[in-house]
Amino acid sequence: MKVLWFLQKQVSCPSCKTILLCTGAAGETVKVTCPTCGLAGKVTFDQLFDASTKIVEIHNLTKTFGAFTAVDALNLTIFKGEIYGLLGPNGSGKTTIIKMLCDLLRPTAGSAKIFGHPLPCKSVKDQIGYMPQDTAIYLDNTVHENLLFFGGIYGMTKEQLERKEHEMLTFVNLTQWRDSLVSTLSGGMKHRLSLACALIHEPTLLFLDEPTVGVDPELRATFWEYFESLAQKGITVIITTHYMDEADHCTRVGLLRQGHLIADGRPSELKEKTGTRSLEEAFLFLTGRKQS
Amino acid sequence: MILIFGYTFGGDVKGIAIEVVNHDTGIPSGSSLLLPDGLFLARNITQNLDQNVLSLHTSTDSESARQIVREGKAWAAVLFPANFTQNFLASLMTPDTVSSPKIEIYLDGSNPTIVAAVLKEVTQSVQTTLQVLSASLNISEGNMPIAFEPAYAYGGGETRFIDYFAPGVVSFAIMMVTTMITIILFVNERRNGTLQRLLVSPASESEIVVGYALAFAVIGVIQSIVVLVAAILLFDITIVGNIFLALVVILLLAFGHQGLGILLSAGAKNELQAIQFIPLILFPSILLAGLFWPIESIPSYLQPLSYIIPLRYGIDAERSIMLRGWGIGEIWIDILVLIVFAVLTLSASVLLLKRKK
Repeated sequence: MKVLWFLQKQVSCPSCKTILLCTGAAGETVKVTCPTCGLAGKVTFDQLFDASTKIVEIHNLTKTFGAFTAVDALNLTIFKGEIYGLLGPNGSGKTTIIKMLCDLLRPTAGSAKIFGHPLPCKSVKDQIGYMPQDTAIYLDNTVHENLLFFGGIYGMTKEQLERKEHEMLTFVNLTQWRDSLVSTLSGGMKHRLSLACALIHEPTLLFLDEPTVGVDPELRATFWEYFESLAQKGITVIITTHYMDEADHCTRVGLLRQGHLIADGRPSELKEKTGTRSLEEAFLFLTGRKQS
Repeated sequence: MILIFGYTFGGDVKGIAIEVVNHDTGIPSGSSLLLPDGLFLARNITQNLDQNVLSLHTSTDSESARQIVREGKAWAAVLFPANFTQNFLASLMTPDTVSSPKIEIYLDGSNPTIVAAVLKEVTQSVQTTLQVLSASLNISEGNMPIAFEPAYAYGGGETRFIDYFAPGVVSFAIMMVTTMITIILFVNERRNGTLQRLLVSPASESEIVVGYALAFAVIGVIQSIVVLVAAILLFDITIVGNIFLALVVILLLAFGHQGLGILLSAGAKNELQAIQFIPLILFPSILLAGLFWPIESIPSYLQPLSYIIPLRYGIDAERSIMLRGWGIGEIWIDILVLIVFAVLTLSASVLLLKRKK
């Protein structure tokens, strides 16, 4: 799958001091060979996110359910314009973290700040978009009614809704089902509608819990293009996913296992550190190491 | 449930509050040849009234007794005029010239069951008294008439069971519909995950609860209007009082049970479980709130339970409005209880939503 933005970077060869112009994708590490002296090297391109603005700051966040610890002293900072991927198997705490950040669960210990406001942050709720793991939409209403409702409770005006609804329907490919009852849609279509409902009010921070489950590969590519375009506009996207290959699209990735953050960094960095070629291998490597 | 059913169903009416005014001067002993020991007929009749069925209270003034009935503090006033016994004796002697003595019974006609019970009881008591008398006087019963003069504070004696029943049904219907639908819808929202979406949105928990309550208020009022219109057109029900007040009572019932529905939905994990809550609310309300039969006909140890069933107050208020034409001044207690109920349940619902964390 393609990553969108390409950057140019001027580097000088360490041995012969020739200036080279390298092209690559943001966050990518490219192998370069100096045309003059033949020295081979690597050039890393920075991600296009605004590292000066912290959107989400998590400090020692913990959540226990009785004796079970779902999230254990999590420390994490997410910057504006990032696509941050929370990876990990079921039960590793991904959804719990998101729920705490969305003010659906109260943390047992620790704190977090969203847009600089400590939890629970009622004042910034209108800027947050949330797509839950279970497709949470009204089955007895039409697609149109659902979008109207979820846009409405975020305070969108009629004109805004009209414009945005059309855009959303086109994006998720549901235009011809606008007036159909949601109960008649397939699982994948419902999921697409759920995503549209999360995006319709143009939030600046998105929490997407497994957004591409049940979505065909072509549409999945479209989704990721859209997420990347959002990130370019400065919208922060926090995604949980099982699919390790999707995680390559993220600016940064956090690997979770049993409530612990076992790794946090750019996909390329993680792969490098663990000497693996895919994040899946990296994850297995890290968990294997933990076990031994 | 079965126990409650058994004990409340078809019970005989008991403990009906009655005012008795006895102006009868009677015939003192020694003043009549026919009755050497004297006769105080009114007193005898009063003593023969079954005290289990009628809860007697004596007063001295006829008009204040009637007022007590008008205020709903007693279901009937039994008034014996002066010279009652003397008239009785006179009509015995000269049946063709003197008309039989009359007992005035001033009734609250809004409850036909109770009216029937009162009349039956007084009639029986009169008969018993006359039976005893006939034995001692050696005259046959048939020649000793006593007439009743029923007068009605409300209902004009024409209150049918359906007039009595309709306000109860309207209240009950709104209660059941609101509770049931709220429970099912809320469990649905929970299971669906849409409740989560609502909580993440800028809408506060209070706004969510109030939003639901208002939606049901509208539905409830529309439904009630339909029911009332049907009742008036099809069954010729008359509404004596203010129809807007009647709708206000319905609104309050709806709000309160809305909150109740939300609270109960927290205890159900899916719709199937939610549906099981419904008989739990349904039956006590049917049996104890005075829907079909008056609360007085329930065993006295169960009667206090009816005080905690909000529907009872709703039915009371509705009946008072529709049959007696009462306004806020008279039913303010019922309305207050319903308001308190609504406020309590809705606040608890908001707290419940907040506590979900």
